[in-house]
Amino acid sequence: MKHRICMVSDFFFPNTGGVESHIFQLSQCLLQRGHKVVVVTHSYGDRVGVRYMTNNLKVYYVPFVVFYNGCVFPTVFGTMALIRYILIREQITIVHGHSAFSTMAHEALIHARAMDLKTVFTDHSLFGFADISSILTNKLLSFTLADINHVICVSHTSKENTVLRACLQPDIVSVIPNAVDSTIFMPDLTRRNPNRIAIVVVSRLVYRKGMDLLAGVIPVICQRHSDVDFLIGGDGPKRIDIEEVRENYQLQDRVRMLGALPHGNVKEVLNEGDIFLNTSLTEAFCIAIVEAACCGLQVVSTRVGGVPEVLPERFILLAEPSVKSLVEALEVAIARQREGSQVPAQQVYDTMKGIYTWENVAKRTEKIYDGIMEMPVLSLAERLERYNKLGFIAGKFFIIVAVVDLLLYWFFEWWVPRKNIDIIPDSFPPQSTGTSTQHMHILQNSAGTKDAADTCKSESREGALYTRRLRPRVGRKGDR
Amino acid sequence: MPRHKWQKVLYKDQGVPDNYVDETFLGELKNKVTTYKLPYVILESGVVTQQISSICLFVVLFIYMEQDLLSPESLLYMNAALSLLGYVAYDSIDRGQDRKESGRSRWDDVKSTAIFVAFSYGLSPILKTLTDTISTDTIYAMTVFMLLGNLLFHDYVTTETRARRPVSLNASIFASVCLASRLPSTLHAFATVTVAMQLFALWPELRRKLKVHFPGTQIPLTVSSALAALCALISVSHVGAIIFILIHLAITFLVPVCLIRLQLFKNNIHGPWDEAVIQH
Repeated sequence: MKHRICMVSDFFFPNTGGVESHIFQLSQCLLQRGHKVVVVTHSYGDRVGVRYMTNNLKVYYVPFVVFYNGCVFPTVFGTMALIRYILIREQITIVHGHSAFSTMAHEALIHARAMDLKTVFTDHSLFGFADISSILTNKLLSFTLADINHVICVSHTSKENTVLRACLQPDIVSVIPNAVDSTIFMPDLTRRNPNRIAIVVVSRLVYRKGMDLLAGVIPVICQRHSDVDFLIGGDGPKRIDIEEVRENYQLQDRVRMLGALPHGNVKEVLNEGDIFLNTSLTEAFCIAIVEAACCGLQVVSTRVGGVPEVLPERFILLAEPSVKSLVEALEVAIARQREGSQVPAQQVYDTMKGIYTWENVAKRTEKIYDGIMEMPVLSLAERLERYNKLGFIAGKFFIIVAVVDLLLYWFFEWWVPRKNIDIIPDSFPPQSTGTSTQHMHILQNSAGTKDAADTCKSESREGALYTRRLRPRVGRKGDR
Repeated sequence: MPRHKWQKVLYKDQGVPDNYVDETFLGELKNKVTTYKLPYVILESGVVTQQISSICLFVVLFIYMEQDLLSPESLLYMNAALSLLGYVAYDSIDRGQDRKESGRSRWDDVKSTAIFVAFSYGLSPILKTLTDTISTDTIYAMTVFMLLGNLLFHDYVTTETRARRPVSLNASIFASVCLASRLPSTLHAFATVTVAMQLFALWPELRRKLKVHFPGTQIPLTVSSALAALCALISVSHVGAIIFILIHLAITFLVPVCLIRLQLFKNNIHGPWDEAVIQH
């Protein structure tokens, strides 16, 4: 079965980060598998309208006002008109929202429900239950997910977290881990210095990534081992702390700070090291340790969130989130490195390369899409009943929101009738069974020109820039 | 059913659908309830009532001076004596441990005391006239707010951190400057500011240290400071004294009971998704 999927999130290129590249890579693989995919995000600066990216992935940069942390201002109903227009125009059958932080994803899911479309949501992050912001976000999440068709989480821990936060039935939540491009991340032993041992850290330098732990670990390790160096890639508010430690202990020649790294350079940095250190305090999946393992590094990480699920035990050394425990784990790794008793880089790569692939992610996501298309559409009464269960006051409030949204939808059906909306012809009909190269060919002939002409002043001049090789800079997004 | 035992890992295909729910699902969930015991809470409420007593004492001393029942000279002599006593006590509680760590010599202490006394004595004419033109009602209202602010922002936590939050002390000093303008002479103003310094800067430090090194002194300390404040209040206003008793009883017994009751409604969910706390 072929689908027409609309990915919605506030976070997309040119913004950089895990969610952004996840949407991009997943969309690319789904396109190659013959589905139609469009991405809807808010505008970035003067990047407004429709753009095309690699393989003619169509991206709507919708002109909504950015409000806080890269999210649009939450109006609930304000996005109805445009999103409905896009969904009808593109004949969307499945709306797929990404990230619990994204206001647009939440709103699009609400509108999609009003339009009786199928909905999927991917949760990329872990949340606590104690502080006020997570209580509010969790309530909102329980509303948008109350009548969702399926939810995807990136790890089992993330699934447990989401099920609790949004009060979901666990069987409508699937676990599909993130992926890495193993053709990029591969070992290159020639870049390593055989006489010294380099510990690599690639991360945003923020509190949540455990930079205070790193600041404690560096002097201890440097004092005990004169042949161990640190290589730190990334930028952020905690950079000052690390630099302070470097000054205090006179480690300028042993601790190299590289600043924010373009994602394309991460591979080179990883390949200069022998041991990868991750000090995160919370992590749903942690793609960084997978990338490091693919490059054949020994991985030392804190035992938090979904991290213990990610790598086979022999590739990773887990530590408690304390300086002492991390130092102990690093000692083990350094000793193994000296003896040469670590798992050989090539062997790690060979094991890892088949595990986390985007093709696999796309296949498993596709299975979910197939499944939900057969699910019955919930009646309005059933939906309202579900909202009502969310809380004495909150439930009533959500019912009002849902009903107003529905009325708004009916209003727009009268104001801008469907028959007046141009339908984009499927550039490759979802029924087609051609290979991906044929799709490319058709695309270049039809959709690329036709679609661009009739919509906005769009052009694909940026498209070429976003080759699959170019991925986000580490250390540039806000601490979400 | 999977042939092997399901593992909570992502790196291998375990032959189950992606939405498989194992019986270990949410196994690591903890409903952690941090329960306080009633006696502990009652004991700890002492730090709040001690501060309230200090504030009452300060206000009563002001009223005494305003009504000419107490001369600033005698207050200053009393102050000096108590300060010296407190100073000796402060050092002897931990046998000079703090002094060694902070590296302050006695000469440093003498110098700072001299500087403080000289400056506040020299500036007391200014302090007295600073808020002179403001109407008495406004002064009293401001004083009430500032003293409430002192109560609210006071650092009740008994940890040996060097950096104290200055908001509380500033509020009380401001209150003392306000009140000083209602008194007849500059010596009165000087006495008021010095008393405020003692009650709101030096006395809490001593109490804090006592609490760390001799926890047993807390109950007698709380009771005696409450009694002292009560006696002082009775001599000024009976209504005030009754309110004082009620507030003290409420803070010591009623509020802790409420807290313990409300604990039942506290439901905190913990699990592996929580942001880790750095262990030292």
